[in-house]
Amino acid sequence: MSALVATRAPLGRQLRSELRWILRRPRTVIGLASLCLVPILAGIGLWFAVDGDGPAGPGLAGIIAGNGLVLPVFTLFLALPLLLPLVGAIWAADGLAGEAQHGTLRGLMLSPVGRIRLLGIKAFGVATMSLVAVTLIAVVGAITGAVLFGGEGMLTLSGSTLSFGAALGRIVLTILLVTVQVWGVAAVAMAISACTEHPLVVMAATMAGVIVFAVLGVFSALDWLHPYLITSAWNGLVDVMRDPLPTEELWRSTALAGCYIVIGLSLAAMRLATKDN
Amino acid sequence: MNRRRVTVVAAAVGVVAGATGLGVLAMPAGAGPAPVLPDVSAEALVESVLGAKPAAFGGTVAVNNDLGIPSVAGVPQLSDGASTVRMWTDGTGKLRVQLPNGDSERTFVDDGETAWLWDSAEQTVTKLPHGSFEERKPELKPGEQQAAPTDPVTLSRQVVAAVQEYSDVTVDGTARVANRPVYELVLTPKPTEKTVLREVRVAVDSELRVPLRVAVLTNGTDAPAVQVGFSDLNVGPQDASLFAFTPPAGAKVTEPEVEEPSAEEKAAAEKAITEANTQVIGEGWDTVLAARVSQDALTGLAQQQEQQGENRRWEEREGQDVDVQGLLKQLGKPLSGTWGSGTLITTRVGGVLIADDGRVAVGAVPEQVLVDAIGQVK
Repeated sequence: MSALVATRAPLGRQLRSELRWILRRPRTVIGLASLCLVPILAGIGLWFAVDGDGPAGPGLAGIIAGNGLVLPVFTLFLALPLLLPLVGAIWAADGLAGEAQHGTLRGLMLSPVGRIRLLGIKAFGVATMSLVAVTLIAVVGAITGAVLFGGEGMLTLSGSTLSFGAALGRIVLTILLVTVQVWGVAAVAMAISACTEHPLVVMAATMAGVIVFAVLGVFSALDWLHPYLITSAWNGLVDVMRDPLPTEELWRSTALAGCYIVIGLSLAAMRLATKDN
Repeated sequence: MNRRRVTVVAAAVGVVAGATGLGVLAMPAGAGPAPVLPDVSAEALVESVLGAKPAAFGGTVAVNNDLGIPSVAGVPQLSDGASTVRMWTDGTGKLRVQLPNGDSERTFVDDGETAWLWDSAEQTVTKLPHGSFEERKPELKPGEQQAAPTDPVTLSRQVVAAVQEYSDVTVDGTARVANRPVYELVLTPKPTEKTVLREVRVAVDSELRVPLRVAVLTNGTDAPAVQVGFSDLNVGPQDASLFAFTPPAGAKVTEPEVEEPSAEEKAAAEKAITEANTQVIGEGWDTVLAARVSQDALTGLAQQQEQQGENRRWEEREGQDVDVQGLLKQLGKPLSGTWGSGTLITTRVGGVLIADDGRVAVGAVPEQVLVDAIGQVK
């Protein structure tokens, strides 16, 4: 019993390698670049709308004139119902089902890395990429907004104007809140991803789920069900633009997404642990 | 093999924990055990409420409305459903009220000298300097002012005595509202009263003696028809910047001009009031307000309605010739009897009976009482 010393790969190196693996795919780079177009297109659309008489639109669009720092928040809420869940589902689909499709998941499962750790690394990759995507939209949105609409502070829905620092704080808060919601969707997508080897199934199932949840949220006869739906918490996130900041709804929606993350990752772990090579 | 089983069990525990978390989040927050407070009589409680000094506080008011009133555009707090109002006051007259509505908001700020009203959907600010509206208050004749008792003890005795003639006033134990101990003051109509209301519950803060929650309960249901109460309350000095308002740069600021009503308008108003011949029929909880409204007034009202409700169905009809009865029939059900015929609009807390000849009766009473009342209208 001499030469068999267990060589363990340090966790940091595994995480780095996972991120490099994702970022080196050309489709990742192209996808992120197209996400940058969303705030630019939204900004140009609103810029034309502001030119006319009256407010540019309902909700946040109404206060965007001369108030460019609202654009990143507006764009994130615009992307949250469909686009960002799709982004989260794509990362999750590539993570497990994509690897299974190429036959590389088998290699990973045989390697001397625990399956829970493997899931952890994959989940870290999905989470980081979701954060990167949301942050990218917000940064491009802030720059576009500042160029098109100007404004030094941020006018809130309550009619008060925040200083530049406080406005940046609100944008960062929005990024974090929206990212946690994307993680909630992506965790469920990871569970689906662990069960199939077709990435398309993961994306289709996740998007169908999001759409069905949104439809269920419309019927007032089902209001007993609404507190359980992750999509129904998304409308309340606009509280981030009120002053003073009401935190109750923000905590509730974050806790709701947290429950989805726990359920999704647990299901994925269960499936991965019982999966035969 | 064993390790795999451990993983599966741990993951199953995770799923159960997540599902439990969802359940906990969906449950309404529990009120906690009722606090133990010294006993207080109903009279003493009412007296302390009337004598309470205004306190500085900030909080969130939850409005749960199940009245069955047709929705009013722009003010969700009046429509059926749950909504919130956020408010702050410094106890000396400065006030801030915010009405969140979906993804827009209305803010009302009174900084002690000027009142501001902000509407985020329209990006408008309405400025109302103090003093511009105060002349319109009705002037009390000196004698009347003397008659109204000013000290809270006498006033509360009179209030309680007047209320007790038709209702039982009791203190129904204690509770917690917005995590503060409260006394529950309950007004129950006497059994002889014919009202549709079952009871009115007022939760009075044990320390501040301010009503923190009001609930109106009707016959036949457990859930209140309407409940307005604090869900969150911070007592103490509030941030002074809350009571200041600076119109944002891009907003349109308007200051409505107050004009003295002209003699012509005054005469028209007086004529309308005399013609309406408002009467009070019944007493206590059964009070029915009755009046006779001229057809002209109804038509005018309907035309105004038509201008406001741009998307409503009756908009399709053209301008002048408005079918008042058709409009009413969309809201209520037709009713006829020895008194004539008309339309009955019912909500959970009462009803309105509008006869075809312009007689109107309103009250928190069942249909039969309204019908009896309208028969007495002269």
